[in-house]
Amino acid sequence: MKPAMNSVVKIKKQRDWKRWTIHLFPIPALIIYGLFIVYPLFAALTYSFFDWKGIVRGEFVGLKNFRDLFTLEPFSGLFWNAFGHNILYFVLQMIFQNGLAFILAYIIYKKVKGSEFLKIAYFLPRLLSVIVVGFLWKLILNPNYGALNVILEKLGLEQLQKAWLGDPDTALISIILVNCWYGIGFGVLIFLAGLQSIPKELFEAGKLDGADGFSMIRKIVLPLMVPSFMIMTVLTFIQSFEAFELVYAMQGSQGEPYHSTDTLAVYFYRLAFGGSAGGSTTAVGLGSALAVVLFLFISFFTALYLRYMQKKQVDM
Amino acid sequence: MRAFTLVGFLAFILVLSACSSESGGNGGDSEASEDSVTLTIGSWRTEDKASYQKVIDKFNEENPDINIEFKPSKNTEYNTILNTSLQSGEGPDILHLRPYAPGIELADAGYLEPLDGLEGLDQYPEETLAASKGSDDKQYGVPLNISTTQMFYNKQIFEDLGLEEPQTWEEFMTLNETLMDEGITPISLGTKEGWLLSLSHGIFGPAHYGGNEFVEKITAGESDFTSEEFQSSIEAMDELKQFFPENYEGLGMEDIRTMFFTGDVAMFPLGSWEIEVLREMNPELELGFFPMPSAVGKDPTITTWVDGSYAINANSEHKDAAKKFLQFMTTEEFGTMFTEEFKMISAIPGIESEDQLVNDLGKAVEEQSTPYMMLVHFSGGNPSTKATIETELQGMYLGERTPEEVANAVQESAKSWYEPLQ
Repeated sequence: MKPAMNSVVKIKKQRDWKRWTIHLFPIPALIIYGLFIVYPLFAALTYSFFDWKGIVRGEFVGLKNFRDLFTLEPFSGLFWNAFGHNILYFVLQMIFQNGLAFILAYIIYKKVKGSEFLKIAYFLPRLLSVIVVGFLWKLILNPNYGALNVILEKLGLEQLQKAWLGDPDTALISIILVNCWYGIGFGVLIFLAGLQSIPKELFEAGKLDGADGFSMIRKIVLPLMVPSFMIMTVLTFIQSFEAFELVYAMQGSQGEPYHSTDTLAVYFYRLAFGGSAGGSTTAVGLGSALAVVLFLFISFFTALYLRYMQKKQVDM
Repeated sequence: MRAFTLVGFLAFILVLSACSSESGGNGGDSEASEDSVTLTIGSWRTEDKASYQKVIDKFNEENPDINIEFKPSKNTEYNTILNTSLQSGEGPDILHLRPYAPGIELADAGYLEPLDGLEGLDQYPEETLAASKGSDDKQYGVPLNISTTQMFYNKQIFEDLGLEEPQTWEEFMTLNETLMDEGITPISLGTKEGWLLSLSHGIFGPAHYGGNEFVEKITAGESDFTSEEFQSSIEAMDELKQFFPENYEGLGMEDIRTMFFTGDVAMFPLGSWEIEVLREMNPELELGFFPMPSAVGKDPTITTWVDGSYAINANSEHKDAAKKFLQFMTTEEFGTMFTEEFKMISAIPGIESEDQLVNDLGKAVEEQSTPYMMLVHFSGGNPSTKATIETELQGMYLGERTPEEVANAVQESAKSWYEPLQ
């Protein structure tokens, strides 16, 4: 009796110890998270309440930086200009990146010839660094020797030739489409995983009920793909409103030409760090205020959307 | 989660740089000799590392106790790295100071040590010293080099067509026409990168607003950017676009440089720092330059500014040693070495260069220089007036702005911070 009791206690103790140690494992991650994410977040928030003389913190000015950002020209004009570009970024990515990704995923799912190869091929751009992607496309889009204009010329379509990245009408759209090209593989993966998780029986049941290809997609595939769409929408939303790397790689920090490729993040970079050109002045307070606004905006809409979709999912 | 990272970018870099930067002061403690110290130099000239080592070796011949490490960071990131490390009380002992407003900003913030009484400072002309003089009228930097912008040209093309360096603006325009007639693009300039536009306005502008006289007037508040002189300089910029390469709105720095050194385009309005690059890219290129001829009956002009000074970090633990090195940077010995090694014009007056082109440029600077007005006087404000003219000119080349609107926007920007214009 006694020895048995002992071992039970021992096992229980071991269990308690194990349970306790579990709590230790997140500590390194929490430290890193706190140091590099939570701390800077609050630092930016405090920065935004002060007046800055160059890189020196001046007086406390409360919400003045926020007010200036929204009411003082040229800052407010540039803010809304960049904001509009972010919206366009989001819309075009939803259509071209995610829409196309879904179609491609469905084709692969239907096991067309070479679908294994396609799966890898679509993901390939993602393996390159964004900077490399930007550089590569900058070469392709070069107006005088870039591949795109050369191909257009060979096809006899000279009238379509353009200074793609130098023309405000095409610069931003070109960058967004490159971003779609870069991101499509990720979308394909997410959608394919979603498709593969649909139980086969449902299709069989649908067939028995006389559903054809199209109504099968509409009635069975799409509703069951809601979680995948949800993930892609949220990720695309966040990514669109943070768009920076590719714009910076292809156009620098001035949102050139003529602010036609400015996004909020590029504008933030320019305000806070003074842009990429050697000597330019900084506006740390305004930059921080913009960063805070951007953070609040993204978190608010992401939370709102997730909550709405979760509810919807429960309803279904 | 990624939403957080953007917001935290600012402080993130601050933390990073605080972690990774070795304070120059501590490095010396482990040295064998008690007197020996180690200084670090921060700069954006990564490409000059080998040349600086030669300069340091030379300095060490007389000062063996002072070890110096030249630690440059990437051009476009230098300001960020420097600013954040200065804010956290660190940074290099000696630092390469951006000229004019951005550098003076650091001095005014108290991050730099005044160079009171440093021997050799008195040899520089007042306008050279102004590049690193604080608002308190103290000198914070030893000027290193003079940069110039002017029209480079391909001597071979000029020779083949029997063309000569123009002496008046009219001759310059005729020259452009002739080149066009011969099927050669005259001016290698693109408008995709804004900084090229303020830079080329620095070259073409003085020919129309009339050089130094106008600069004196506008900095005294006696004229402004809506004046006829200034507007005509913007109109001239607009007029020149017929001589730019095809698709110029999509061309950046590397494109226009390539077009020039491969001989596709006859002229290249750019800066003295391109000389080395051009020669490296095409050693066969016969490179010439001419000062921009005036449209209003003045002398032709070479546009100049101080392109960097060396200053001492106020937080450095080895200010005396750092001063010794800065002192060395004012000597003729250093100036000569600098000119030869870096193929640039030394800020020290009267230094000769063995390189014919650099030497000629240096001479032209002493006789015909006009300041790069946007950089020297109007790089303040936010966005700076210099940045404003860049964007506005870009707008003009894209057909969204008239020259008059450009001039008005520049005036608005300058008025918002430049006291004499208020």
